[in-house]
Amino acid sequence: MIQHLQPRATPPARVVVLGGTGFVGRDLLGRLSTLGVDTLGLSTRDLDLTEASSAGRLQALLRGTDALVFAAALTPDKGKNARTMMRNLAMAQTVCAALERAPCAHVVCIGSDAVYADGSALISESTPCAADALYGLMHRTREALIAQAARQAGSPVLLLRPCALYGAADPHNSYGPNRFLRSARCEGRIALFGRGEEKRDHVAVGDLSGLIIHCLAQRTTGTLNVATGQAVSFAELADLMSGVWPNPVRIEYSERQSPVVHRHFDTTALVRAFPAFTFTPLREGLRAMVREVAPQLSNRAPQASTISTAKEA
Amino acid sequence: MIGFAGLSHLGIVSSIAAATKGFDVLAYDPDAALCAALATGRFPIFEPCLDDTFAACRNRLRFTADLRELRECDVTYLSVDVPTGPDNRSDVGLLDERLAHLANNSAPGTILVLLSQAPPGFTRRWAERLGNASGDLSLFYQVETLVFGRALERALRPERIIVGCDVLRSLTLPARLPAAYADFLAAFGCPVFPMRYESAELAKIAINMYLVSSVSVTNTLAGLCERLGADWAEIVPTLRLDPRIGANAYLSPGLGLSGGNLERDLATVQALANEHGAEAGMIDAWLVNSRHRRDWALRLLHSEVLSRFPDPTIALWGLAYKPDTASTKNAPAVALIDALAGIPLRAYDPQARLVAAEHPDSFVQLPSALEACAGADALAILTPWPEFRAIPAASIREMMRGRTVIDPLAALDGMCCRRVGLDYFRLGEPAAKEVLV
Repeated sequence: MIQHLQPRATPPARVVVLGGTGFVGRDLLGRLSTLGVDTLGLSTRDLDLTEASSAGRLQALLRGTDALVFAAALTPDKGKNARTMMRNLAMAQTVCAALERAPCAHVVCIGSDAVYADGSALISESTPCAADALYGLMHRTREALIAQAARQAGSPVLLLRPCALYGAADPHNSYGPNRFLRSARCEGRIALFGRGEEKRDHVAVGDLSGLIIHCLAQRTTGTLNVATGQAVSFAELADLMSGVWPNPVRIEYSERQSPVVHRHFDTTALVRAFPAFTFTPLREGLRAMVREVAPQLSNRAPQASTISTAKEA
Repeated sequence: MIGFAGLSHLGIVSSIAAATKGFDVLAYDPDAALCAALATGRFPIFEPCLDDTFAACRNRLRFTADLRELRECDVTYLSVDVPTGPDNRSDVGLLDERLAHLANNSAPGTILVLLSQAPPGFTRRWAERLGNASGDLSLFYQVETLVFGRALERALRPERIIVGCDVLRSLTLPARLPAAYADFLAAFGCPVFPMRYESAELAKIAINMYLVSSVSVTNTLAGLCERLGADWAEIVPTLRLDPRIGANAYLSPGLGLSGGNLERDLATVQALANEHGAEAGMIDAWLVNSRHRRDWALRLLHSEVLSRFPDPTIALWGLAYKPDTASTKNAPAVALIDALAGIPLRAYDPQARLVAAEHPDSFVQLPSALEACAGADALAILTPWPEFRAIPAASIREMMRGRTVIDPLAALDGMCCRRVGLDYFRLGEPAAKEVLV
């Protein structure tokens, strides 16, 4: 259950972000700095969390008044195998070892909605975690490790489970806004699996950072899914993207290889926790991505897109 | 003489019903102040027609705080409230205690009737205990069908009376009830169903399970209507005409389960299923559905008001968990108030009063519905008190700053609201903000 230990928002003394050069970490650090919050961003260059010896060095860096954000992870594009999983777990183990000896005022673990099985009906924080793949299992295990270590250290902990994130700086090229933008830009086309019927929720990385900042200010604890509650089909998403991309975009369908599986979130817990928090509407978020990657094009009016099937392409 | 031990909501209503049927009634409670108040017609509960019904039978009804006086009674009912914990599990400790006191203070040959709801197995355990002791007491379990807001009507004119008996001891079916008890029940003019203890205890739960199943299906389908562009209200009449569903089926969409009784019985079934290895997975589904529907108004307030306007004020009509009661147990309104802590909330309810100290500082309760609307950006109506329908939509529009009316249970006329320019939302229909002419 979500609880705010600080009902009146108060910036933390300092925020330490593990994964400081990653997609989420970098955005979060940038926004915290803009707000004048003292931060320390750590990346692999500073501290290789997969090395057990890093625990001592991390411990030495941490202060009791810190808020620690654990956003360091090897994403699926870096491998979906056991080796990647174990490296991700090793990172968590290092963080746990450091926490046990250097408790923090607040710990925020950035996980993933991959902890829930594909095909789960309306997902809420009460939905049982039943990950189908190693990536989801890894995140669930990391949550359990961090939560236990934080509990033993007396550090309040928040587990965040964002759904698919998007943003111009995303390096992962995952199927969705990130890949659609790249292919629209580089190839003038967007390729959909089947007819793009699957519905998914997408959160702008800036919104996740904004929410994390609220959670840090109120020392929020518990488990919270991060989703807008408004899932759209990939077909709609492609349509939106082609609508904001200034050059013509060809939308291509293909033969369906797997059944349609939708994914919707019940965001009541987030609404309860932060009644005034709003997400960037998807169209606006996509426009912001276009402005960032192609500022010279973003002032042009979008042109009509075309649709073709795999046979015609 | 009929006795009632425990002047809970159930005990008060049942004792008045018994006196109305022409019986001399002795109503006991250890709270002497309560007994004194009841004797003068000052009731701690609200039920339609309670005052008038009491006035007509008060010469046959005596209140006492002296347990020993119950020895005068031929049939004594135990009618205490059974408390439930935060997990909705019944705490039968009080029942054990009061039943023990009653047994020790009843004359030999007294017929004891357990009217308070007990979990399956409870009555037999007590029957064996009483059978092992001297005193010649017989114990029955009578299913109560208390419905807040209709309690007196149901006590006076029950559809049927279900009685749990020690069938195994008497070895007869149907069990023969003692004359004094049978004569009392006959006064209600309805079928009487004697059965074994466990069947009667489970019958009460079974009734509530069927109601919950109907409520849950209705809520699920109403939720689908909202997303598909269908209107549940258009579908309902066709269902009522299907004899397998019935004219009186629970088909009005709601904000989940509330009041406490249904939730308690769900918890009981889950516990029994866990203990005895029975499959009861659907209970979890019903509870998930209930929690989700409970927050329908909150989600709508967020999307329509809280996420759009800085510093909004919300008007809230209805605090009770349903009309014609002052009870706020598990009420959707209370959940909403707690969820909106820090956001100014102006509330009104004809009967229910919340203790201000138990709720956020931003919550205030006002003496009239329209006062509650003054300057509000949205109005949420979570209890459909009939008096709300008489308030002109134009008056609501005039008092409010915003235009959003969230009326899940259709307390108002949606068409009238839309005609005066209000954005009107109801359960089971898709959102439509346009003004209909």
